[in-house]
Amino acid sequence: MATEARKKWILKALYDGVVDFDEDKVVEYSKLVLDEDVDAYEAIMDGLAAGMEHVGEMYANQEYFVPEVLMCSDALYAGLDILRPHVSGKEARVKGQVVIGTVEGDVHDIGKNLVKMMFDVAGFTVHDLGRDVKLERFVEEQLKTDSDIVALSALMTTSMLAMPKVIEMIKARNPDVMIMVGGAPISQEVADNYGADGYAKNAANAVQEAIQIVSRLREMGKA
Amino acid sequence: MAEQPQPRQETMSAGERMGAILMRQRPDRVPFMPFIFGYCARNVGYRIARVYDDGEKSFWAQMWTAEMFGYDGGAMYGYASMGGWEFGGDIKMPLSEWEQAPIVAKFPAQTPERVDALEIPDVETAGCYPIAIEFARIQQQFGMPIMVMGFGALTPAGNIAEVHVFRRWMMKKREVAHKLLRKVTDFANKVTDYFGHNFPKYPSLPFTGEATWANQIISPKQFEEFVLPYMKEIHDHILERGTKHIFCHICGEQNLNLKCWAQMEYGDPGILSFGHDVDLSTAIEYSGDKHAIAGNVEPQVIQNATNQQVYELCKACIDKAKMAPNGYLLLAGCEVPVQAPPYNIYVMKKAVMEHGFYD
Repeated sequence: MATEARKKWILKALYDGVVDFDEDKVVEYSKLVLDEDVDAYEAIMDGLAAGMEHVGEMYANQEYFVPEVLMCSDALYAGLDILRPHVSGKEARVKGQVVIGTVEGDVHDIGKNLVKMMFDVAGFTVHDLGRDVKLERFVEEQLKTDSDIVALSALMTTSMLAMPKVIEMIKARNPDVMIMVGGAPISQEVADNYGADGYAKNAANAVQEAIQIVSRLREMGKA
Repeated sequence: MAEQPQPRQETMSAGERMGAILMRQRPDRVPFMPFIFGYCARNVGYRIARVYDDGEKSFWAQMWTAEMFGYDGGAMYGYASMGGWEFGGDIKMPLSEWEQAPIVAKFPAQTPERVDALEIPDVETAGCYPIAIEFARIQQQFGMPIMVMGFGALTPAGNIAEVHVFRRWMMKKREVAHKLLRKVTDFANKVTDYFGHNFPKYPSLPFTGEATWANQIISPKQFEEFVLPYMKEIHDHILERGTKHIFCHICGEQNLNLKCWAQMEYGDPGILSFGHDVDLSTAIEYSGDKHAIAGNVEPQVIQNATNQQVYELCKACIDKAKMAPNGYLLLAGCEVPVQAPPYNIYVMKKAVMEHGFYD
């Protein structure tokens, strides 16, 4: 069992490994977490996720760009792959479930993948439908998984027009599900006009918005 | 819009107006080129794919749409997903209700070994180039400047390897990234040589432009390493072949790259088109002393806003950039969305006619 100081040192190494996109370091210290009996959930949240949160800030401040964030995400997932199987059931209780995808006609998925990653580290269960997703698939997957949120992404001005249609389709089958939209041509005004419940300006904002949505749902007794 | 001024009488043809810009002279009014492709096909009753997969239909769809709205630009051939098809992958033309442009369906080189094995394609048979050549022949037949998209560097490389793969190479396998960029640039220069050799009689106005070199994706440092040297070489090669002007679309958020863009050559003068993320005053500050500036009406607004909002946005662009030292052209900040209301394109011209004249 690691001492408190030793645990802090390991978590800091995980944090730094993610921020410095040092995948080897993250793997090494994730194994150390298990060897020294550090709590895996704590290592994920206070090491890996905290590091990724800082990466999100660096991206928002234009200190990091997509290539760096992709490398950070590789390091993050290398750690998650090792640590997640060791998280206890109680701690693994998810914040909520999200269906996510880039809408039909659009193959641009870098932004969607960043949002997915942030949901992952924040403790959501994510059902990723990928890109160029037929509109009916969002409806089917939401019903199948009983997800709280459907997150829709679009980069193209043409494919963004699919969003109000799919929102209508989902709400027709399940009026309680919350819909979030995001992507380069989307603004708060567009999201409001489309009837979305949330708007994600960026990946970090998407998670904050989702957490608020799930809280609202729980208050209403629907999640 | 009842209080807007009355339209003035034009004293130049569209060709004379564009010619004036390219001779650094004041035209009668601000030229208007919407920056429009797939919309034209839909506008004349074709499937959107026709503007990309059929040179003749593409040409006429664009010419008829230009006639209908009375804008100054003619026809251009190109699209953002070039690279994958030309180097041996597959392309998917836009067919569904929600698609706007071709997308790469199969990426030809997603491993370093495949990059090593890539050969520089023959221009006459590579991907979209047989269609582009057909398009250029029709432009030549009508005595028009040949406006075919020059092959770029970073975006074609991303379309060959897939964007996220190439971005990882930029970080951890830089030699592979540079090797692919070298091959792509060699092909771009080969395209220039082909058009220079086969279409020597007519002045050309090639256009270059990519989406993935924006600061939404890469840093200015990465731009300096992975874009600047290659695009500089491509532009220099185009100009060395005798082309006098390049139309360059500087797509997306580019504010951190503007110093680099100012280091490149675009001809005498070039036309630099900016997206809505770059303020036109900033664009003029960096490049307006040498080149004509174009842009930057936000496409999403053209598609989704009211005609009054589109008109006001165009007026604001004209007011801001009309007096740029080497001229200004009103353009959309990127391609006009295929489902934009026709009246919103009409009001772009209306704004030019009511606010774009030079006294």
